[in-house]
Amino acid sequence: MTVPTIQTAGLTKGYGDICALKPLDLQVAEGEWLSVMGHSGSGKSTLMNLVGGLDRPSGGSLSVGGQDLSALSEDGLARFRREFVGIIFQQHHLVPYLSAVENVMLSQYFHSVPDEAEARLALERVGLGHRLKNRPGELSGGEQQRVCIARAIINSPKLLLGDEPTGNLDHKSTVMVLELLKELRAEDRFTVVLVTHNEEVAAWGDRTIYLDDGVLVREERLRS
Amino acid sequence: MFAAKLLPQLFAFFGIAAVVLRGYPERRRPLAVSVGAGFAVGAAVAFFLFRNFPGSFPFELIRTVVGASFFLFWGIAVTALYRSSERALPDASGRSSRLDAVAAPVIALGAAVTAGALAACRFSGNDAPLGPVPALVLLLVIGALLAAAGFFLEAKLPEALTVSRAGTLGGVVALLLLSSSYLVRLDLFSPLSMKVMKGCHDFVHQFMESVLIPDHLFVRPQIWGYIGILFSKEVGFWGGMVIWFTPFLLVAIAVRFELLPSVGHIRQGAQRRKLLAAAIRQRRMKLIVPLLSLVLMAGAAYRSSFPDVEYWDPKPIPVAADPSGDVFIPRKGGEVDLSDGKLHKYLLKGGAREVRFFVMLTPTGKLTVDLDACAICKPDGYGQGEGSVICYYCKTLIPLETVGKPGGCNPVPVAFSEKPDGVHINGVTLVNAWSTTVQSTGAKKEGGK
Ligand SMILES: Nc1ncnc2c1ncn2[C@@H]1O[C@H](COP(=O)(O)OP(=O)(O)OP(=O)(O)O)[C@@H](O)[C@H]1O
Ligand SMILES: [Mg+2]
Repeated sequence: MTVPTIQTAGLTKGYGDICALKPLDLQVAEGEWLSVMGHSGSGKSTLMNLVGGLDRPSGGSLSVGGQDLSALSEDGLARFRREFVGIIFQQHHLVPYLSAVENVMLSQYFHSVPDEAEARLALERVGLGHRLKNRPGELSGGEQQRVCIARAIINSPKLLLGDEPTGNLDHKSTVMVLELLKELRAEDRFTVVLVTHNEEVAAWGDRTIYLDDGVLVREERLRS
Repeated sequence: MFAAKLLPQLFAFFGIAAVVLRGYPERRRPLAVSVGAGFAVGAAVAFFLFRNFPGSFPFELIRTVVGASFFLFWGIAVTALYRSSERALPDASGRSSRLDAVAAPVIALGAAVTAGALAACRFSGNDAPLGPVPALVLLLVIGALLAAAGFFLEAKLPEALTVSRAGTLGGVVALLLLSSSYLVRLDLFSPLSMKVMKGCHDFVHQFMESVLIPDHLFVRPQIWGYIGILFSKEVGFWGGMVIWFTPFLLVAIAVRFELLPSVGHIRQGAQRRKLLAAAIRQRRMKLIVPLLSLVLMAGAAYRSSFPDVEYWDPKPIPVAADPSGDVFIPRKGGEVDLSDGKLHKYLLKGGAREVRFFVMLTPTGKLTVDLDACAICKPDGYGQGEGSVICYYCKTLIPLETVGKPGGCNPVPVAFSEKPDGVHINGVTLVNAWSTTVQSTGAKKEGGK
């Protein structure tokens, strides 16, 4: 039995008086695709930020990929983010004045050293081989999100986090992006955690959890 | 006072301990011990030499050791550069580590012995407040403490701060040079610059004048002027600087062009890039020591232009020639007494030319008149110390008995006539002596041909 990619016990997060995440016990197996649902303000993004090492928990234990995140130093946490996770947001956060391939190379640069050939390959994998030199403003929403996926997977993360990555996309683009994620996961075998408001998107996962006011209220396994 | 005087030497020794330990981390403990012991041995030996061989012999010995280590480093720097440009992977046969087994202790011991000797040079024993022997014991204790401090502090330095082999030696040599630059008689900078200058100067004479273009019709005086600029006194200075600084630059270049590990066989891009980035980062860290050494060297070169010992060096008194061209220096006048055995400096302004000269009574009982310059050095002048005068430029000590004799770095003697009331010198003789023998005007002399 392998170590779960994500394991939390009594994990909490508060912002001042607000308790965004009540004690949460959660396990995500290696290679699993977990969907996270819940109404606005239920703590989904909070959970993602904690798991992705963008924020530190207020209490409880949180281990990702066998590393105890609360024990890591700032440097250690930065290295964890660089080497272990890839994140896709609803807003694409691409640098507007850099081309698609340069945006991907930027991520390589922060990880180690840029390698243009490899960045091109990654964009070809997400089906953007013909739009390498275009800037984000010249790409459609779905294409932008695919650049984000290329950027997120370029450093071979073990865990891919998506915070409503398809929230801004129409149905057709949503399916394309999810299809792509599924293919990449089959090849690279990373774990996926995807936040969504959409039942249909959630159905792409192996399991769905429902948060309400920072509490895990329901869990539904779709496939194993 | 006593302790403060020793600060540069102790700092250099501490730096040597840290650099050597960082350079050869596999053998920290024995190296720390040998560094401490070497310092003690060096200090004790130098101390013994000073007691038993007064004069400049011990200084010459230590100066030779420091100079030799510098030139050894020159060779190693060139080798390092050569090896770094080899387009082959470094062999994994472990040859270098067997070499290290010899190199590490040799570098550690050699550097520590020299550092100890340099520290001992700072007090020839007599000016120490407690008397010579307790001072030596105190020095040994401080040395041991510093070696221990180096041992513990080096372990606290960040892991990533690595030192290349050539960098280790560079740091050690730079620290030794810095340490010696605080001791006038050990200073290596000016003598070397002087040798370079003399070499260039002789080259011009031999090659240009006698072989290449002997008074040729087409070679205009202006051209000689340009050639003169090329080989003026500045050449010596910059030539010396090139010699001092290139080894460090070579090491820096060698480190910069060190081969990166081959990563072609690693299939996963992120993994491959991570290895490359780590190698590049390590290479960058290795640059710190050679670059720091450059700074230390610059400090040492700067430092060496300020003699530490107080020499008797009066301000030249302006004199003028009378209409017949005679320069008269009265035997007694004002505060000056020519027969007091001290250096008395004068400045003659003849038109645009200035001639600095001095008059003094040597221990042989004779007065002598000499230029305040020798035939080979930049005319920085002389100062008077105990039993000798020192050429500020090349730091050579000239015993008072030989002042007035020509040759080498002795002040250039000038003919004069001694009268009961004082000394008469021909102004034209002075001006000619200065313009034909003194180095700075030597190049102009060819230019004006
Ligand atoms: N930086 C912060 N400072 C203060 N309160 C915060 C902060 N971030 C989130 N919160 C609060 O924590 C709670 C959970 O927020 P979170 O962003 O996790 O919700 P969410 O489930 O992602 O909602 P949405 O679906 O709208 O994105 C909210 O009440 C929010 O106001
Ligand atoms: Mg959110």
